[in-house]
Amino acid sequence: MDRKMSPETRSALEKLADWFRARSIWMLHYCTGCGAVELPPSMTSRFDMERFGIGPMATPRQADVLLITGYLATKTLRRVIYTYEQMQTPKYVIGFGSCTINGGIYYDSYNVITRLDLYLPVDIYIAGCMPRPEAILTAFNKLREMIEKGEANGWKRYEENKEWYRANQLKALNGEVYVTR
Amino acid sequence: MNLKELISELKNKYRVLDEKFNDPNHTFVSIVPDQLHAALGELKSYGWKHLSTISCVDWIDDNEFELVYHLWNWDSRSQISLKTRISRSNPHFPTIMHIFPTAKYYERDIHEFFGVEFDGNSEMEPLFLEFWDDIPPMRKDFDPLKYSREKFGERDYKVPFADFIVEEGDQK
Repeated sequence: MDRKMSPETRSALEKLADWFRARSIWMLHYCTGCGAVELPPSMTSRFDMERFGIGPMATPRQADVLLITGYLATKTLRRVIYTYEQMQTPKYVIGFGSCTINGGIYYDSYNVITRLDLYLPVDIYIAGCMPRPEAILTAFNKLREMIEKGEANGWKRYEENKEWYRANQLKALNGEVYVTR
Repeated sequence: MNLKELISELKNKYRVLDEKFNDPNHTFVSIVPDQLHAALGELKSYGWKHLSTISCVDWIDDNEFELVYHLWNWDSRSQISLKTRISRSNPHFPTIMHIFPTAKYYERDIHEFFGVEFDGNSEMEPLFLEFWDDIPPMRKDFDPLKYSREKFGERDYKVPFADFIVEEGDQK
């Protein structure tokens, strides 16, 4: 997979759009694991995310960033995939903490995934268990840079390699991605 | 009735295999499986009417499952845990839903994670896991690490400072 698309393929209009996108990031509140406790201090007065134009959004259809804040059980992964697919492009994924990177303390669990990037296109990972608000803000600023340069194109990777992602999802979710109950 | 009196009464009426006080307000009592329902009903009538949970222990070397029924008495504030052992190779046990209706979900949970069948409990479909495809995961012969590696993969990575620490320790 080609991680970085060359920025030159963007038209002038897309470049302008990316400039705007980097300055107004709405992050989706779907708090899956314990990492969510680091978000209130990041958002409130001490670290104040909003000075970078980052704010919380309640619904997937209006959000830009999906934060995976910690471990994902297979049952949650299924719902995260629904949520991610509901989001409108361009959309970005941030993997939060060591659980999303290598499973963390759940490395030998029977129902917790160990690598998030097998199932969703992760644009940026934050290491730590849990990452401090400083690390979160550093990651968000890095993401802003990437958006502005046109490098944060995980959603394009997801569309181009849909079969690969789907096969991984089916393997982890025991053969069925969409269930009605 | 306090716990000590209760134990002596249980010993008179039932075949108590073992009893052990965990602390003054909590005791474990082992009982033979076919007398468990009668003992549970009697305890309920004495005031131990809150079924906190049912737990299961896999004694794989003895080829037995141990079911533990935790009962709580709100008046004397004491807990009694009734234990009984059933065969592991064909794990069947009659439900206690007619004594404690809340047992329905605890039994369903144990059925899902240990594979114990509760006769008389009609709802035995999975409660938490979706499309589970292996032996029940809380059994001792289930290898979670092997399952996780096969199903979810493993990230190849190296911790750079670990070697340095080991090398320094070796030189001494």
